[in-house]
Amino acid sequence: MWKIAVGFAVFAALAIYILSQGGDIDMGGEKHGGDAAHTESPTAAPAQATSEAK
Amino acid sequence: MAVAAPRPMSAEEKKVIFASSLGTVFEWYDFYLYGSLAAIIAKQFFSGLDEGSAFIFALLAFAAGFIVRPFGALVFGRLGDMIGRKYTFLVTILIMGLSTFIVGILPNYASIGAAAPVILIALRMLQGLALGGEYGGAATYVAEHSPQGKRGAYTAWIQTTATLGLFLSLMVILGTRTLIGEEAFADWGWRVPFLVSILLLAVSVYIRLSMNESPAFTKMKAEGKTSKAPLSEAFGQWKNLKIVILALIGLTAGQAVVWYSGQFYALFFLTQALKVDGPTANIMVAISLVIGTPFFIVFGSLSDKIGRKPIILAGCFLAAVTYFPVFTALTKAANPDLAAAQAAAKVTVTADPAECSFQFNPTGTKKFTSSCDIAKQKLASASVSYDNVVAPAGTPAVIKVGETEVLTVVTPEDIAAAKESAEKKLADLNAAETKDAKAIGAATASVKALSGEKTAKDAVFSGKLSAALKAAGYPAKADMAKFDKVTVVIILTYLVLLVTMVYGPIAAMLVEMFPTRIRYTSMSLPYHIGNGWFGGLLPTTAFAIVAQTGNMYNGLWYPIIIAGATVVIGGLFVSETKDVDIYAND
Repeated sequence: MWKIAVGFAVFAALAIYILSQGGDIDMGGEKHGGDAAHTESPTAAPAQATSEAK
Repeated sequence: MAVAAPRPMSAEEKKVIFASSLGTVFEWYDFYLYGSLAAIIAKQFFSGLDEGSAFIFALLAFAAGFIVRPFGALVFGRLGDMIGRKYTFLVTILIMGLSTFIVGILPNYASIGAAAPVILIALRMLQGLALGGEYGGAATYVAEHSPQGKRGAYTAWIQTTATLGLFLSLMVILGTRTLIGEEAFADWGWRVPFLVSILLLAVSVYIRLSMNESPAFTKMKAEGKTSKAPLSEAFGQWKNLKIVILALIGLTAGQAVVWYSGQFYALFFLTQALKVDGPTANIMVAISLVIGTPFFIVFGSLSDKIGRKPIILAGCFLAAVTYFPVFTALTKAANPDLAAAQAAAKVTVTADPAECSFQFNPTGTKKFTSSCDIAKQKLASASVSYDNVVAPAGTPAVIKVGETEVLTVVTPEDIAAAKESAEKKLADLNAAETKDAKAIGAATASVKALSGEKTAKDAVFSGKLSAALKAAGYPAKADMAKFDKVTVVIILTYLVLLVTMVYGPIAAMLVEMFPTRIRYTSMSLPYHIGNGWFGGLLPTTAFAIVAQTGNMYNGLWYPIIIAGATVVIGGLFVSETKDVDIYAND
């Protein structure tokens, strides 16, 4: 059992290290269509810039 | 019931668990791959499609996830009960693995046109079909090799593969991206994670070929007692159908919503509702998963001693009664400015109720374009709490933030003024001595949006709303200086622990509810309907409730009601199974 625990700890530590180095990634799993529509709108950035331009 | 004397797990049992779990690692690896690479896959395979074809493909993609899997549970469950667990199990992993690998070598839309998305969707359908048979096979195979009194502990190992599959996908995707660079990854590097899966497939097939058939199935087959018609036995006779329905609404429905809420909705809530940046939210969730994952084994083993039912139903009960305070605490820890703005600024949407839809959109193909729907979409996406005020029929919706009114109707004069202002800002930024590339990029995007026929109105309305919300104290992003990492990890770990309570003992319980001759068929269907439909519909249902009611926590009513129903129905009608002799009726 201890070998599995150590193996899991090493594997998890490596994954978290890579995650901390690798930047942004979607960890939300597979989308079936509708879910994708509820993420941030692509017009959000221009809208923010538009509001800041005022 | 005789319980096996305590003894360490044998080498053969370890091999059985390892071989079975490899398939579910594969399943999870795939699940995360399609999530992480969704934008690239859409660009490679679907970007050239016209609107009508895109609509059909969106429906097919929905079907691959929601309809094909339960159908696969029926197809492979039936095979598993007729010809055996081992060979069915081998077929499902071969279909799953080869489908994944072929995606890695599939030419894109630019190379072969519409054939590319057609083949991709066909591969997704095949994968979905095989996935439907994989989990039930793994659970049945491991449980039928486990000694009495150890099934909870042994089958719980299968549940840990969700975390392993996630970490494996992260390492392969991020590792490849870091090695070859973003541009090459978007161009061809995205294929590597799909191609790498062939290694996982080779190991899985090699090990599974060397495995023996489940002893229970071998004995039943030797005695000629296998079912000739598992589907009609499992679902055509009320005696068994009743148990299938109870397994669904009294167990897997609650388990699924607690699982989705604890891992995926928590992440979605952090990034989309609380506006925490993606990388930070990912790290927080990953740490909580590392802490929580061993508890699958803890609760699986505990269920062998105190029972499956009390642990699963306690997890559902705790979820139902604590989700509101826990997610409120998460807001205060992750984005206290948002919590303060919600408490201080009164926002109303005044609209004609006939214009307001319940924005439930599971296939992603509906368009909500009335002024009321647009207003509510924007506010829900900005995590603004608001009250609904009834307006006379035919009146366009108006948002009021404090004393500031934001009209949903945008005139050509508004667009011209906003465009002039944005162009001036862009000119000023370009003329400045020190160039701010990020600001120039945002200003350029703004000018582009204001110049587009389809995007200008939305850009002006969104811009006005953003300005009004900013003035009322609503933060555009979470302030990381005020982000309480320790409290966030503690809260997320609590949510993962609830997941381990409901998920750790579930495989053993489902296996123990049905006789060997129809076990594979009977347990696979409620598992996939529970997780695919009740769990899979959580994000879109929660969003529709939030947009409808104007409270970002109200989406939690969906998992709370389902988990509550499972507590009541499971508590009243589902029997404890830990001491059941699964071979009694063979």
